[in-house]
Amino acid sequence: MAQQVVNAIFIGSIYALFAVGYTLVFGVLDVLNLAHSAVFMLGAVITYSLVALHGMPFLPAAVIAVFVCGLLGLLIEFVALRPLRRRNAPPISALISTIGLALIFVAIVEQATPGTLFGWLWHDGANSVSFPSGTVPNPTYHVGGLTIEGTKLGILITSVVLMLVLGYVVRFTQVGRALRAVAENRRAAALLGINVDRIFASTLFVSSALGGLAGLLFGLAISDISPYIGRDQVELKGLAVIVLGGMGSIPGAVLGGYLLGLIEVLAFVRFGSNVEAGVAFAALFLVLIVRPQGLFGARLRERL
Amino acid sequence: MDFFIQLFTNPIGFYNQHELLIAQIGINSILAISIFVTFYSGQLTLANAGFMAIGAYTTVIMSLYLPTPLPLNMLVGALLAGVVGFLVGLPVLRLRGVFLAIATIGFVEALRLGVILNVPITGEGQGLKNPSADPLGGIVPILASLPVLAYLVWRLTQTRLGQAWSAIREDELAASSNGINVPLYKMIAFVIGAVLAGYAGALETHINFFVDPTEYGIGRTIQILTFAVVGGTTNVLGPIVGAVFLTSLPEIVRGFAAYRDVVNGIILILVIIFRPQGIVGRGGLAFIRPRWWTRWRAPERPASAH
Amino acid sequence: MHAVDGVSLEIEQGAIFGLIGPNGAGKTTLVNLVTGYIRSQAGGIRLVSSGGTIELAQRPPHAIAGLGIARTFQTLRLYRNLTAMENVLIGMHTRRHDDTLQQLIPFTPLRHDEDKRLDEARELLQRVGLDPDRDGDRRASTLSYGDQRRLEVARALALHPKLLILDEPAAGMNPAEKDRVRALIQQLNGDGLTVLLIDHDMRLVMGVCQRIAVLNFGRKIADGSPATVSEDPAVITAYLGSQAQKSAAHVPGSEAIDIVGEKAPLAATEPAMPLLEVKDLAVAYGAIQAVRGVSFGVARGEIVALIGANGAGKSTILNTLSGLLRPHAGVARFADLDLSTAAPDRIVRQGLVQVPEGREILARLTVRENLELGAWARRDGRAAHREIEGLMEQFPILGQRRDLPAGQLSGGEQQILAIARGLLARPKLLLLDEPSLGLAPQMVDTVFEVIQRIHGEGVTILLVEQNALRALEIADRAYVVETGRILLSGTGAALRRNPEVQKAYLGG
Repeated sequence: MAQQVVNAIFIGSIYALFAVGYTLVFGVLDVLNLAHSAVFMLGAVITYSLVALHGMPFLPAAVIAVFVCGLLGLLIEFVALRPLRRRNAPPISALISTIGLALIFVAIVEQATPGTLFGWLWHDGANSVSFPSGTVPNPTYHVGGLTIEGTKLGILITSVVLMLVLGYVVRFTQVGRALRAVAENRRAAALLGINVDRIFASTLFVSSALGGLAGLLFGLAISDISPYIGRDQVELKGLAVIVLGGMGSIPGAVLGGYLLGLIEVLAFVRFGSNVEAGVAFAALFLVLIVRPQGLFGARLRERL
Repeated sequence: MDFFIQLFTNPIGFYNQHELLIAQIGINSILAISIFVTFYSGQLTLANAGFMAIGAYTTVIMSLYLPTPLPLNMLVGALLAGVVGFLVGLPVLRLRGVFLAIATIGFVEALRLGVILNVPITGEGQGLKNPSADPLGGIVPILASLPVLAYLVWRLTQTRLGQAWSAIREDELAASSNGINVPLYKMIAFVIGAVLAGYAGALETHINFFVDPTEYGIGRTIQILTFAVVGGTTNVLGPIVGAVFLTSLPEIVRGFAAYRDVVNGIILILVIIFRPQGIVGRGGLAFIRPRWWTRWRAPERPASAH
Repeated sequence: MHAVDGVSLEIEQGAIFGLIGPNGAGKTTLVNLVTGYIRSQAGGIRLVSSGGTIELAQRPPHAIAGLGIARTFQTLRLYRNLTAMENVLIGMHTRRHDDTLQQLIPFTPLRHDEDKRLDEARELLQRVGLDPDRDGDRRASTLSYGDQRRLEVARALALHPKLLILDEPAAGMNPAEKDRVRALIQQLNGDGLTVLLIDHDMRLVMGVCQRIAVLNFGRKIADGSPATVSEDPAVITAYLGSQAQKSAAHVPGSEAIDIVGEKAPLAATEPAMPLLEVKDLAVAYGAIQAVRGVSFGVARGEIVALIGANGAGKSTILNTLSGLLRPHAGVARFADLDLSTAAPDRIVRQGLVQVPEGREILARLTVRENLELGAWARRDGRAAHREIEGLMEQFPILGQRRDLPAGQLSGGEQQILAIARGLLARPKLLLLDEPSLGLAPQMVDTVFEVIQRIHGEGVTILLVEQNALRALEIADRAYVVETGRILLSGTGAALRRNPEVQKAYLGG
């Protein structure tokens, strides 16, 4: 059981890291970025590509992948979000345009085999691969009867540190204040001289970089990299996480991530893997109906 | 190009060669109509794939275990989807905007992963074999249903009910000031959408030998959503045009068949940015809606007796 | 916060009842209570008719509409993408029997009802002054502003109401249009309709209503015939501010005017070297022309006021100057900056800062964080910090609450915070939009003192105010804005003496 809790904490950190980026965009832009899971997938795919296909060491590959994912965030902003804002389109339109981008991202990887247009990025089409063994050193620690793998420990530390840094920036710096100002009232923020568009673009960059990082950590730890890991593993679970935590709340997303990790592991232990798969959505559905503001009480943000 | 040449020069050959495609177009059109109804009342609900699953499974399970005739099974499937729609709608329709969309997504996945995969009678992950499947015969009820349903929904949008939906879509607050019972009319739209989706699900089992639980996930709902968005939702023709266009696109442009999702994604983005009203919208293909369909220009008599 | 607190009203059948009060007095809240959009915490609302008495409180809005209470909205709420005819037809919803199933049967020409409805809709359009042939098939959003207002009345009439509630039906209209609204109300009343009229415009309300109630801060302060209400001292104070009586005594020739008068000749003409120059500015929201060719200037060191009724286009002008809206014609320059194209953040960095209407403080950030963001456009962190400390000393109400979420401040405190936040951007020109909106009289005094103090420190001010008397008192020059145009201009003192201005905006 204790071993399961360790697993819950570890998978929870990946959920949390993914969901923090998700919720950040919702909080600041009032937009549900459904391309986030595709960026998650690309984070893993790009790292894998650099390591396995182009022979790069893991660490620089990971840095490049995270940066590229950040750039993809800018692509989302400029292609799918900004034109709609200019037109004062309803927020639902952004939901649909990001779905469009997600379809494109996934299909590009899914169709890539050697010799095709994107053969340089991916060789395995719809199949699942994993990092070559020894990509990162993976010592195993035994603490009081628990087995803790080095990579998983590294993942836990990386995500916790990053989330703390993000939390600090949002809470205590001038940029963070500007971010919260834009989230609350973009008109008032513009009147204070804040360049709202630039805040939006930075938000997308940071959010997507975090999403990509979560993806590559997931690929590293679960040894499962395919065009579908975003869609199948985290897209809707990420939604469940940010709904649990209250949409737009960063601490809520972190807590929600660990909570979902725990719920899933408990469901798995008690009822088996079939129930584990459904439990996130049952939770999502229930929370939305009973407590749409989230479990931790952040206010419901949607305007009338 | 061959696609069109054959369509116009040899329609019978075309029909025989593309029967499955035509059946799929019909089913997708009905699904598009089902999402249109909720769109028309101003709600972004994404539960259609779930209702489809209910219709499909109910029909097949009844065929497997009961001696009832197939049309009855399909009808029960569709109605059961409506009943579930009502029960789900009670709590869910209080939400709006993106929260409604998320909750309905949650319903679809909870149904698929939580119920279908865990109840033995559904075959769990393996799915179900459909003994009564008849791909060639199955196309008949599809092609017969589509025009009837399209007509009914089109008429519906012209009635008091349809006007209430329009009002709610445009401005809920104003609608209630005009005496429109907003929750009631939203629920009616949601249930009608559920029945139509359930019916489409039931029809689909008839052309497939197999009911596959992975068919009823969120990907399917997004596909349905795409039909409606690309076609436009100002009138019922829009989603049908969207479904016909997007379903036959991979057949028309064979070279891109592999990249159909890339093409779909690009079309979706282009439409939502540059043509938010869809292909059939005001100023678009709307001209194919003849003038006499709107009626108040017609009466040529003095309107002001006073 | 009590938006409406212990108010009792009685509207007689067949009457035109007026409800007036300053902005933020709770008039619209009261309408929302009556029509079911807000649930009241205490008290009852009863509809008395020949059939008996019906309790309205706790009923949903559509049920209340079904009982025959129709309303219009202060902010237009038409079905914008539907045609004018469709708007009116939907208004008949409660009277139309549910023929949905009949309509589904093909080829049954059950059009008798439909023709009758169409005829009636055309009649309703004509009744409010729209031409069914010309306007009937047009989408509501493409109608002119006045026509949209009229269409909303037609839609409400389609309900065949027992009581019609008009929430600011004449907002943003010019006197001629207002006269048409007045004639329409009288005509409807003549046909036997009971009307509850809410408006800002004293002339309209006084002219048309048989009985008037006055709200202020959610309480009823007067109730009676137009004549008694207009002489009620509490009403005068509420409308004109606490200094009204004092000022009213200052008829031409008294000392206060003379002091202003000394300044007057200097500033009465347009400045030769304006800091802000606006020429033929025109702004539209879709089909609605909000500002139609406005020209004015502000010189360094002046206080200039824009006064005018609700919806006259004053806030639109300020938002265009701040870069939030784009003009479709005309020029606006501030120093060397072209305001019609510059981005909002650039405008702030150049020193043109707006303190917006409704204050728009960031409620979830603390007072201190709000102030720190005020210095966003600056690059001198440390000096800004000292200035923030200085401001918190200068305004102890802010200093004492520095770590509270700003949303917990009272309205007046929020206004001070908003002004202080604006000052931190080092404005050369400060735009103040309705700084006294919804404030208690003594708080209004404080805010105006603060404005004068800032002005004394060398900040040029462009002030938009509904409290015209107070604004004219401190303004060097002022412009009267009406339906998107400048009607009059002159020194503050001159405008204060102008009988036309007194009549229109000072309730005289």
